[in-house]
Amino acid sequence: MTPCAVTTGFFTLGKCGQMAIAGCPSCGRALCADHVTEGGLCPECAAARNQVGHPAAAAAHRRRAYRHRSATEYSDYGWYTSFDAYDRAAFDPDAAGNQDFRDDGDDALVDS
Amino acid sequence: MFWRRQKAAIAGFHPSHQALIHERVFTATLPAAGWTALTSSLFRHAELVQRSKWALPPRTLDVLVPLIVEVGADLDPKGTLTITADLRGRDAPGKTGKPRDLPVRKPIRSATETWSIDPWLRLRAELRDGSILELLVVDRERTRRISKRNPRGKIKTKRKSKVVQIIKVRRRLPKEEAGSVPVSRPPGWIGTFVREGERRSVLAAAKLTRMPQSGQEQLDRILSVATEPFRWTPRTSTGQRGNA
Repeated sequence: MTPCAVTTGFFTLGKCGQMAIAGCPSCGRALCADHVTEGGLCPECAAARNQVGHPAAAAAHRRRAYRHRSATEYSDYGWYTSFDAYDRAAFDPDAAGNQDFRDDGDDALVDS
Repeated sequence: MFWRRQKAAIAGFHPSHQALIHERVFTATLPAAGWTALTSSLFRHAELVQRSKWALPPRTLDVLVPLIVEVGADLDPKGTLTITADLRGRDAPGKTGKPRDLPVRKPIRSATETWSIDPWLRLRAELRDGSILELLVVDRERTRRISKRNPRGKIKTKRKSKVVQIIKVRRRLPKEEAGSVPVSRPPGWIGTFVREGERRSVLAAAKLTRMPQSGQEQLDRILSVATEPFRWTPRTSTGQRGNA
């Protein structure tokens, strides 16, 4: 199964991880049924083109705009610019499913 | 029967949506799917209901709904999001305290001070990284009323009010979660307090002396304050950037 590689979350980023059914024609990212927006684009590509009819694209557009407005507020330039394993994993579709924080096993982070 | 179609449409809305229409107040504890149902219901409002009496209260679509969407995206699959929203405004009954007399001297005849406290938004979310996010937004208005007599015996009354907004966010980290100190200070208008313990808590608070002028600015302010506690944990362990 190829997991959906769309980034979800606002404060705690993670991958969607649902079964992908298509790929974004613009960036090639694997997409599940919930994240296929107008024209078959992923939410981020749709937001970049101001196509915000789909709820996921509208949320992505709002997050882009908010992060653009607030990027200098914290003077923490590494907050948005540094690259780590999470960012690199976007280029490794097999790793996407492992990064989902919806793990409910014994080692789950949730204690209640 | 008047407004038949719109009444029927309202009857089909989500119960919390109906509470917002009729009482302008609602409290709900729901999982992410439940909040998605509520936001879908709210998005249909403008299309189905035109009567001004049944309009959604201010801050619903421009502040509350985006906040639900963003926090809902971070929810644990088994976790819940609790929201108490009171959108009746500062003048609603029960929010204004008793007037307090202030000391005066001539030509002032009397001076009174009244406080209105409006905690219009409370939120508690169980996030997927194991932490618990709590948010409180309070509008506080001070009104001073002065009555004075001029040399010709004429009595004049003046009234002045000042509104500030308090935003407080607390993030309780998972047990034994390692913390870190952010590389930069938060903006000057945000204060931070860290409470150590088995479950570390990071509290961020802001007092806005200039009220947000739009829904978008209000949402930005809330999200900016809520960002600060997430800077106090290493990115790889909080899910901010995820594990490799």
